[in-house]
Amino acid sequence: MLAMLILASCTAPSSSRSFAGATGDTRIQTDRAREDQIARGRFVVITHDCGGCHGGGSNPAAAGWLDGMRDTINDVFHIGPYTTRPKNLTPDNTTGTGRLSERQIFNALRYGLRPEETPDVEITSTVPGQGNFPLHPHYLAPPMPWDAWRHLPDRDLWAIAAYLKQGLKPSNHRVPDSDGPPDFWVSAYTVKTIGAYPAAPYPTANER
Amino acid sequence: MLSGFVLALSAPRTAHTAPASRAVGLPEPDPSSPPILVNISKLPKTVEVNITAAVATLSMQPGALSEVFAYNGSVPGPTLDVREGDHVIVHFRNNLPEPTTIHWHGIHLPFEADGSPFQPIAPGKTHDYEFTVRAGTAGTYWYHPHPDRRTGFAIGKGLFGGIVVHAADDPLPSMDEKLIILSDNRFLQDGSIGFAEAASFTGGVDEENGREGPVLFVNGHVMPTVSIRNGEVQRWRLVNASAGRIYRIALSGHTFLHVGSDGGLFEKPLEVKEILLTTGERVELLVRGTGAAGTRIVLQDLPYDRYAPQTRPADWQTTRDLLTLQTTGEAVVNPITIPATLRKITPLDPSKSTAVRTIVFGQGIINGKTMDMSRVDVSTRVGATEIWEIENIVGMDHPFHLHGFQFQVLDRDGVPEPYRAWKDMLNIPKHSTARIIVRYDDYPGKWMFHCHILDHEDHGMMGVLEVR
Repeated sequence: MLAMLILASCTAPSSSRSFAGATGDTRIQTDRAREDQIARGRFVVITHDCGGCHGGGSNPAAAGWLDGMRDTINDVFHIGPYTTRPKNLTPDNTTGTGRLSERQIFNALRYGLRPEETPDVEITSTVPGQGNFPLHPHYLAPPMPWDAWRHLPDRDLWAIAAYLKQGLKPSNHRVPDSDGPPDFWVSAYTVKTIGAYPAAPYPTANER
Repeated sequence: MLSGFVLALSAPRTAHTAPASRAVGLPEPDPSSPPILVNISKLPKTVEVNITAAVATLSMQPGALSEVFAYNGSVPGPTLDVREGDHVIVHFRNNLPEPTTIHWHGIHLPFEADGSPFQPIAPGKTHDYEFTVRAGTAGTYWYHPHPDRRTGFAIGKGLFGGIVVHAADDPLPSMDEKLIILSDNRFLQDGSIGFAEAASFTGGVDEENGREGPVLFVNGHVMPTVSIRNGEVQRWRLVNASAGRIYRIALSGHTFLHVGSDGGLFEKPLEVKEILLTTGERVELLVRGTGAAGTRIVLQDLPYDRYAPQTRPADWQTTRDLLTLQTTGEAVVNPITIPATLRKITPLDPSKSTAVRTIVFGQGIINGKTMDMSRVDVSTRVGATEIWEIENIVGMDHPFHLHGFQFQVLDRDGVPEPYRAWKDMLNIPKHSTARIIVRYDDYPGKWMFHCHILDHEDHGMMGVLEVR
């Protein structure tokens, strides 16, 4: 920054213009970091086959990329008591993620919490009622594999959120709500069943 | 349009002289109606009443006693019956074992009298609520506690009562009026009112749906009978005091004349077959008696799917009976005429709006947040006109309530509202958006806006509007 200012003072005809230039350079840096984050998010989304359920397969150029289930018969999951319909992940305000924050999406991927039913807060515990973890957690419906993907590093989860919110165009496509039993007290997503986050230190009894 | 109601001869129009609690000349209240608060003031245009909230033991259901919370010993509490322009003084005593308030739901009054969670009254303490009922307020309202995180419990225990504000010059002819307060409740085998543990299965469902009970009450009675004469028109004021139940009201094949809503009369009556009455909401209906003496028809609550799929009750498609309307006595020979125009409602002008607020309803959250009484969510100034765009992004209905200021609905999902009305409750159905317009024409303060499913409100689906 110091070098930039010295350079500006030598070449710019007025100090105000030189500062404007410096601010612009900073913004470009910020934009570049954001673009890098979005590109990383795109990479994680493609390689983790989000489009396999949410639309478009592994092809971001495909019609219906990530805007939710289209085939109301073949794309619906019937798992036990659940009827799960993959949602529109594009940032459309009424049918997608437009009204969700990146942190709500991060919390969905890290803790499996439905973003439209979980406050936009930093969560510091996985015990219901503690550290902003909801007393009655509302979990994403199966087969959303958040219990595996929660182990991705923070930066990758934030990158997914950034890509969904900032890297996609909104697509107005309504997917009917998923159906199923009340799931907010189920024992499916306890440490006992899906393991702790972070994962137990290496090596566990299964590892060498 | 008004064929069932507009008949050849007009009855003489008698001005409403005074509420029954302080003057003679009005018909005795219907036995099934709540009692009326006694006005102890001798001053003109003043209504001074005493209300005590206390634990009581009442027979809510035949053959069983229940421990309740009651206003002046009855459930519902006695009706506050006033006229526009009256100065109201309520001497309130809290004899409950917990803090409480009285919120005068829908009345435009100073912040200090709102009875919001900002103004708790400790057990054993007294408080005087004081406000003047402004011109244009005539309509049906209700009062209930609004303590921090305990509103659902306190109303479920029995704390609610009606408010009727009479107009100085009511355009409707004098006729028999019924205040019909709807509530539902859940009872344990020993007769006590049932509340689920928060961590239990039922507690979880209650948190989602709002606590519903299988026993439906009209003014604290199960399936009361209301009498009407053939050809007689009655004015019914309905209040939904339930925590979560939304009533879809119908009268077995008959129509109503829908003449008013939360903030009083419409501009014109509407003939309807059914009415959706969301939590906290009120409607005014004209009902016409038909058939020979002995004819009985039933006011029903028809199925309405307000629920998310995960917690939709298995019996949600059940039609439930509320009351019996029985034709009695001689037919009316000189039926009354209902005016085609009731009053003028000046529209609030969207071009005067200085802000558009986006209010996003998630499940239990507003704009991604839960309630924080130390936070201001919307800040504005006295005199401002604003548009609120209320979006429900989840799969169950959320009834919106704004304290302090009545609003007008502009449109729902882009469809302009077909008629003008003053509202303080608006059901926002699943995955839908409504736009309202509001003017903060007086009374600075911190006003609540929230989902009126009481369990949602208590769990933080509420925000603060500061008017400075």
